[in-house]
Amino acid sequence: MHWTLAVRRIALLVLLVALPAAAKDTVKLAFIGPLTGGNSAIGLGGRNSADLAVTLKNADPKSRYQYELVVLDDECKPDTGVQVATKAGADRSIVAGVTHYCSVVAIATVETFHRLGLPTIVWGAVLPDITYANKYPEIHRVNGTMINQNETAAKLMLKQGFRRWVIIHDTTDYGKGHDKYFTQYATAGGGKILGDFGVTADQQDFTAELTQAKGLNPEVIFFGGLTPLGVRIRAQMDKLGINAQFQGTSGIVSDDFIKGLGPLAEGVVAFREGAPAEKLPGGKFFLEKYAEQKYPNPPEAYGPFAYAAAKLLMDTIDKVGPDRKTVITALAGVKNVDSIVGPITFDDHGQNTVAAITALVVQDGKWVVWEDSEYASGKRKLKGR
Amino acid sequence: MSLRRAGASVLSTAAIAAVTGLLLYAFLAAESERTVGLVLVGAVAAVAAGLRSRVLPRLVGAAGPPAVLVGLGVAGLVLVRVFHDDPFVLLLMARALLVLVACLGLHVQLADAGVPNFAGAAFFGVGGYTAAVLGRGGLPHPLVLLASGAAAAAVGSLLLLPLLRTRGHYAALITIAFGLLFRTFLEVNETLGGPQGLKLGGLQLLGWSFNDDRRLLGVEFSGYAFYCLAAVALALAAVWLVRRVERSWIGVALDAVRLDETAAACFGISIGRWKIAALTIGNALIGVAGGLSAMMVGFIAPNNFTFQESLVLVSILLLGGLGNLAGLAAAALIVIWLPEKLQPIQEYRYLLFSVLVVLVLVLRPTGLIRRSVRRPFGSVAG
Amino acid sequence: MGRLGGQRVRQRQAQAERALSAGAGRAVDLLAQYVMNGVMLGLMYALVALGFTLFFGVLDVVQFAHGDVLTAGAFAGLTAYAALVHAGVQSAVPQLLAVVLTATLSMALLGALLGRLLVLPLRGAPPLNVLLATLMGGTALRECIRLFYPGGSQPQRFPALLPTASWSVRRFTLRLDNLLMIVAGVLLVVGLSLVLRRTRLGLAIRAVAQDEETARTMGIDFRRVVLLTFAIGSALAAFAGVMNGLYYNEINFGSGLLLGVIGFSAAVLGGLGSFEGAVLGGFLFAGLQTLGAVALPFASAYKDVFAFTVVILLMTWKPTGLIGERLGERV
Repeated sequence: MHWTLAVRRIALLVLLVALPAAAKDTVKLAFIGPLTGGNSAIGLGGRNSADLAVTLKNADPKSRYQYELVVLDDECKPDTGVQVATKAGADRSIVAGVTHYCSVVAIATVETFHRLGLPTIVWGAVLPDITYANKYPEIHRVNGTMINQNETAAKLMLKQGFRRWVIIHDTTDYGKGHDKYFTQYATAGGGKILGDFGVTADQQDFTAELTQAKGLNPEVIFFGGLTPLGVRIRAQMDKLGINAQFQGTSGIVSDDFIKGLGPLAEGVVAFREGAPAEKLPGGKFFLEKYAEQKYPNPPEAYGPFAYAAAKLLMDTIDKVGPDRKTVITALAGVKNVDSIVGPITFDDHGQNTVAAITALVVQDGKWVVWEDSEYASGKRKLKGR
Repeated sequence: MSLRRAGASVLSTAAIAAVTGLLLYAFLAAESERTVGLVLVGAVAAVAAGLRSRVLPRLVGAAGPPAVLVGLGVAGLVLVRVFHDDPFVLLLMARALLVLVACLGLHVQLADAGVPNFAGAAFFGVGGYTAAVLGRGGLPHPLVLLASGAAAAAVGSLLLLPLLRTRGHYAALITIAFGLLFRTFLEVNETLGGPQGLKLGGLQLLGWSFNDDRRLLGVEFSGYAFYCLAAVALALAAVWLVRRVERSWIGVALDAVRLDETAAACFGISIGRWKIAALTIGNALIGVAGGLSAMMVGFIAPNNFTFQESLVLVSILLLGGLGNLAGLAAAALIVIWLPEKLQPIQEYRYLLFSVLVVLVLVLRPTGLIRRSVRRPFGSVAG
Repeated sequence: MGRLGGQRVRQRQAQAERALSAGAGRAVDLLAQYVMNGVMLGLMYALVALGFTLFFGVLDVVQFAHGDVLTAGAFAGLTAYAALVHAGVQSAVPQLLAVVLTATLSMALLGALLGRLLVLPLRGAPPLNVLLATLMGGTALRECIRLFYPGGSQPQRFPALLPTASWSVRRFTLRLDNLLMIVAGVLLVVGLSLVLRRTRLGLAIRAVAQDEETARTMGIDFRRVVLLTFAIGSALAAFAGVMNGLYYNEINFGSGLLLGVIGFSAAVLGGLGSFEGAVLGGFLFAGLQTLGAVALPFASAYKDVFAFTVVILLMTWKPTGLIGERLGERV
């Protein structure tokens, strides 16, 4: 994969040199995401999308600079994330960064980017604290936060008639955040949270938690965490004979979740902010161009956001020049800038508001938008309905 | 010391410091991977030639080890000045030096006393977490660093009783189990931040924050430069301490304990007491290094202290040759710097290290440079 | 694969429910579930511990790549499965057979190779060297899986090859696949015991374990016995690896490390070199973990902390294991 990208970039470079155009300076952009480990599918999708943005920008004769993507792997671990963030920030030739899918990592690197003065746009992490805990001018985010996600989730599930939940969440701020916000909205709407279990992000065996959950007799098991854990919990639920509905968050909206569970994934519900690629304003364009590049992995749920973030950074650098400080100032003034995910506006904390929350359900081995599914129309039923 | 001896000493020190400094500079400043490879090959060739032709030992002998230390320290200062605004290189230097200090701690435990410690990374973590917790409390930071060392020694003392009662693989199992236990405990426990870890404010000395970039003597120094200087100072102090320990009666006792416990006990040496001493000194060193490292990075998480990391520390000890301080330093530099400079091998670094260590153990168990024997009368060789 | 006599099962289920709700033991079903889990884990740990104890017995060495051999065995089995599926074989029985055979035979070979390359050459060296060499060898093995198996850094889905019928009474679920694995594991342990006690190879192994020099003088081919022991131990580990994969429906390149340390702890608890001790140690460790999970329900991850702490305490009390070797070294 690495090699084909390199070859493609070299070919593009040769092409550009052959054209009778003035030589352009190269500007480096960092991309940081989980390229190995349990969330690598999403990370690779994001990387490919950012790479697509860079490739298209470089092919545009109007662009002032030649852009190069420096790809770094944070392995979805906070310590590795801080290391690569320090590396990117310390490298003076890197002007800006498209950063992080894993909230655990993003929240850890906020200080690092602030300290080293690297402007960044988050492309996939949903923890609100990343932008809202501090007012750092370096940190921005194009995707939404988990607050709206859980509000919509509670509303939909309550409407389906579910009233009794057991929550299993990972003990990172990501899982705890989902626990907090979902509990808040579900109980406000009349639901009951019968039990609340925290599990470590790399836990293997959930017999203890699930056996107790079984005894509480819930209608829904809500899982706040990422794909690898989600796969294990859903599989072990089946082993222990628990017949409840499984509900997840944006962390499990990936093809790996379905691949890992096979038929057990059927009927699982999840929520994420932003619309799926096909329904985005620039979605068709994005998917067409993505397919042309023949990347080995699909863009997954957050690819469009990575693309939008990279494009926004490059357009800004084109306007104000490849200097970190001026880029930071320019990003503060981003208002209603058009992108494939819709108009981007950064508020005073650098957060973009994403209005749409999509409900998804696994139907026949694919994530399908709830409204389009047979579960919504009544042809199929969720567990216990 | 006669004037001639002094002159020879100064010249030798200058020569050693200059050559080392140049090699290190070339390595750190190398841009392309080919240059890095060439520098590495050149360095290895130079050292091998120096050893073979006996030039290197004679230079060190003429200079006298304390002078060599000072010379290397000056070389370190010069390098910091040269890379004054390159945070990446400064960070690399500081990391290598702090790992060196941690390995020095392990050296006292394993190479001197023969007590295996597979939880080195855990004690590094204890130091880091202590610095994180105490650093917020308003305690002056130099004291915080000392406290990090003390905390690591204290936690290590929990293992004293089990370690004293067991031998060989059983003792190894205890430290391995402890390392795993420690990391799991940190991950599950919320009070120390859980899997997300803790953030640290930087080191502050008399109101001077090490995190900020600063202009000194007309030169703009990146924040990391000061950490680097602190690391150089710490490394020099640690090497001096370990050498003094080795050359003292403590060192003789530790050697006796390591080589033959029964014989040592017959001669009235208290095995327990000396093992405790070695463990405590070693863990304290590891803890202080961990504390400074955490303050420099500004972040600490349980994932930094896995068994894998402990194995890397032990690998450094083995690759450099058990008992050889110069080899230890070289191994630490190579293990930390090479993967950073040679991007392609970054991913393969654990595989590479483990294969190298296996080769060393099977083919040259005494290490790449042989350990010197203590000469009972006169100065200690090497 | 169907349910076992659906109608009868439902009747029996209802009966059991009535009996249980009649008051006796409100938590019996919960306890039964934990015990079931514990037996499964204990058997897996025992298989790993047996390997450690065999290696220690014949060569006085601790082969620390054993845990990673377990993982490698599971991955070998998974590769065999993928190959069969690719070739169009759909039925579970040949798949299962292929997985188990590939795993055990390939690991038997790997174990013998490790013995030949890493352990035998280091026999004269200080024991710590062998520990270190095998630890590093294990790391190399683990990294090879992570780097060279396609998608190795992610957890891999392990197919469910055993029948999944189950019988539930309130919180207790008895699954057929668990039962089959337990039976198979027990048969394996008993089989090994028989091999050691009734066959000539077993006699040779025990002779070498007891006194190497005399055994050699008596004409026993030392190298052959050692390599065969390594092969047997590693095959056991591979079987445990496949069990692990079937139980969790997932294998991970890093799981071997923890399982290796647990297996070693179990072998040490029972006393290195003792067959019964290894089995005892395996179940003891599983019991400790289960106890920890029951006693600290709010964070079952603490169970590992609890179990390892107890191991350290037990080793402080009895430095050479509960049924240990006696080291006479007082001065």
